[in-house]
Amino acid sequence: MHNGHKHALVEVRGLKKTFKRKDGTVVEAVKGIDLDIYRGEVFSLLGPNGAGKSTTISMLSGLLTPTEGEATIGGHSITRQPLEAKKLLGVVPQEIALYPTLSARQNLEFFGRMYGLSGSELSKSVDEVLDFIDLRDRHKDRIDTFSGGMKRRVNIGVGLLHKPQLVYMDEPTVGVDPQSRRRILDTVIRLKEERKMTVLYTTHLMEESQELSNRVGIIDYGQIIALGTVGELIQKVGEEDRLIFSVGEQQISDAVLERFRTEVPGITKATYAASEFTPVAGMEESAELVVEKRSTGTMRVARSGQVLDGEITVHAKRGRKALPELLRVADEMGVDILSVEVREPDLEAVFLHLTGRALRE
Amino acid sequence: MDKILSVARNDLQVTFRDRSVWLQLVIIPLVIIFFIGLANGGFGGDGGSPHLLLDVFDQDGSALSTELLANLKAANPNLVLCPADNDADDVCRLDDAELTDTLAQERVTGGVTSAMLVIPAGFGEQARAGQPASLIYRSQNQIGETGPVLQALQAEVQRLGGAMIAARVGVDVFENSGLMGASFADENDRAAFDRQLYETARAIWAELPPAVTFNESAAQEGRQPSGFSQSVPGIGTMYVMSTVLIGSLILLQERKQWTFQRILTMPVAPGQIVAGKMLARFVMGMIQYSVAFGFGLILGVYFGDSPLALLLVMVAFTLCSTAFALLLATIVKTEMQAASMLNLVVLIAAPLGGAWWPLEIVPQWMQAVGQLSPVAWAMNGFRSVIFHGGGVESVIPSVLVMLGVTAGVFLLAVSRLKYE
Repeated sequence: MHNGHKHALVEVRGLKKTFKRKDGTVVEAVKGIDLDIYRGEVFSLLGPNGAGKSTTISMLSGLLTPTEGEATIGGHSITRQPLEAKKLLGVVPQEIALYPTLSARQNLEFFGRMYGLSGSELSKSVDEVLDFIDLRDRHKDRIDTFSGGMKRRVNIGVGLLHKPQLVYMDEPTVGVDPQSRRRILDTVIRLKEERKMTVLYTTHLMEESQELSNRVGIIDYGQIIALGTVGELIQKVGEEDRLIFSVGEQQISDAVLERFRTEVPGITKATYAASEFTPVAGMEESAELVVEKRSTGTMRVARSGQVLDGEITVHAKRGRKALPELLRVADEMGVDILSVEVREPDLEAVFLHLTGRALRE
Repeated sequence: MDKILSVARNDLQVTFRDRSVWLQLVIIPLVIIFFIGLANGGFGGDGGSPHLLLDVFDQDGSALSTELLANLKAANPNLVLCPADNDADDVCRLDDAELTDTLAQERVTGGVTSAMLVIPAGFGEQARAGQPASLIYRSQNQIGETGPVLQALQAEVQRLGGAMIAARVGVDVFENSGLMGASFADENDRAAFDRQLYETARAIWAELPPAVTFNESAAQEGRQPSGFSQSVPGIGTMYVMSTVLIGSLILLQERKQWTFQRILTMPVAPGQIVAGKMLARFVMGMIQYSVAFGFGLILGVYFGDSPLALLLVMVAFTLCSTAFALLLATIVKTEMQAASMLNLVVLIAAPLGGAWWPLEIVPQWMQAVGQLSPVAWAMNGFRSVIFHGGGVESVIPSVLVMLGVTAGVFLLAVSRLKYE
């Protein structure tokens, strides 16, 4: 399929997957997805846990048979011509799918053979991948002696052995430290820029989607609810900034919110949310709890019913411009603002706008 | 085919990377083979010859019955006639008990003795008179199956009968033909002549080649079954079963660590992956057999004269176990389930099939039930080669049964396989 001058490498039409539970009930994990992934792009499938990302990627890699619908890779049907389709594909699963007692080289050599490589072609490919993932000096070491980040790199390397046109990466940064995460994200960028590979990247972290992707599909409850470039998606929420005022233990009245909305230009919405200390079952009503104040990081003792931490969220067309006015009103109403954070529109806001829930919920 | 071999090679590489494999593959089986072998008779006492215990009741007490027993013992040096031959070491395993007919029957049924022999009163007199005389022989052997004791007895009875017929013919000829113009002076003269002919016939019989084949083979040092002849194939077979069935556990582990699913995303047919994994288990089974039988050779165990027949049994049983491993992999859902099922299957199939002790010593109904276990068919094959000197033709029924079971179980397993 063509979209202007773009060619779709992956075409997905009406893809559905239902599972039957032991009690006989049927769960629709994926409810009919239509999708094109163009050659050379990084396409993110962004959604919360349980949204259907891994089920979709499992169907697109031939691990699960779709209940309905069809998917092709390079024109080859993943259900009717699986071997041809899989030759174009490298899969990097969320799990560290490696043999822990074998060395990095032994793992790469074995999986290389499964991709049909042999002899000098296999050796060359393994060396290239070891260089790419920067583990040439550790190639003889067993995988179970590697750090989590190094295992992740080998896990990615396996998917690149046969120089595929398309790479699926299923939440490759889950459970890694920030430094390793950065390294993985850089690897994805290099795959796109240096190797001109097409990448299907699933994540529940909007920052990753935003940084890596040419296009993003937001998936929720087994359906793609929004699809487009990051810019196109953000436009859907009207490009509103969010200003978050931390007010600590102060109780904020509706009057304050009302003045924000009526007196400051460009404000579309103002809400207050606070967490209170509520004794759990079996705890004395008069119980006390030592808590850390999120706003200041200091420790204090809270009693039943006391506000622990509160914040006012204000939605504004141009948040930074509205900030001085908002601070003035707060001062007049006797509200002590502990800190302010201005959040520009992002995919998190898009998801919130579309579903009413945060991505991390 | 390349991918099948690659999967198999990788599986073997992963298996041998785990040092504990040597415990399962070598150390534990060899220790068990050794001790079970000792319990089954070990090296076979002095010179490696096992005792064949025969409980004897000589109710006749005639010269003929005494001679029969003496010749029987002479025909087979391994034969111990109980209680007459019992010694300070209680070779008859009587434990100071008085041997009664009931006890003797229990000892036969329990496999303590090879057989019991009753020489009824009047046996000698009837035999001498040319009247039908019978001996009572009881053993656990099937009808038509001759063990070494029965062989020796039959040979001796044959000699005895032959000599008596020769004597009678001689006496009749002497009396009726008037040969040499003479006749017997009286009954004593007749009896003495009869005795002389009998002794001469016996002497001639004795010069003929021995009819007892067991005695013949026992005379060749180191070529006779011992306790290890049972424990090496028995425990070896049990551990082959265990080693191969572990394949079902490995498939589960691979699913858990996601390497199985990862291979499924590659351009490899699912059947190739399974075939490679099963090939690896087959190779492990054959390695296990090599370890067991290699240890047997070190112990000096005589394994018969047909290595090809033994190999056929090993291949058939390992294939059969491989098919069961695949079937088990389609049934169990967790590693714990797999480990429990594996233990259950091995610990039932092995003793039931005669891996721990010869099936001949268990009751008839247990022997019949035991044939449900593939281990029994493997042991039938091994025993026919090792204990009865059979060749390839002797193991063909066992091998065909095992290959038939393999085909059936494999088809069932393949029909149940799910890759999702």
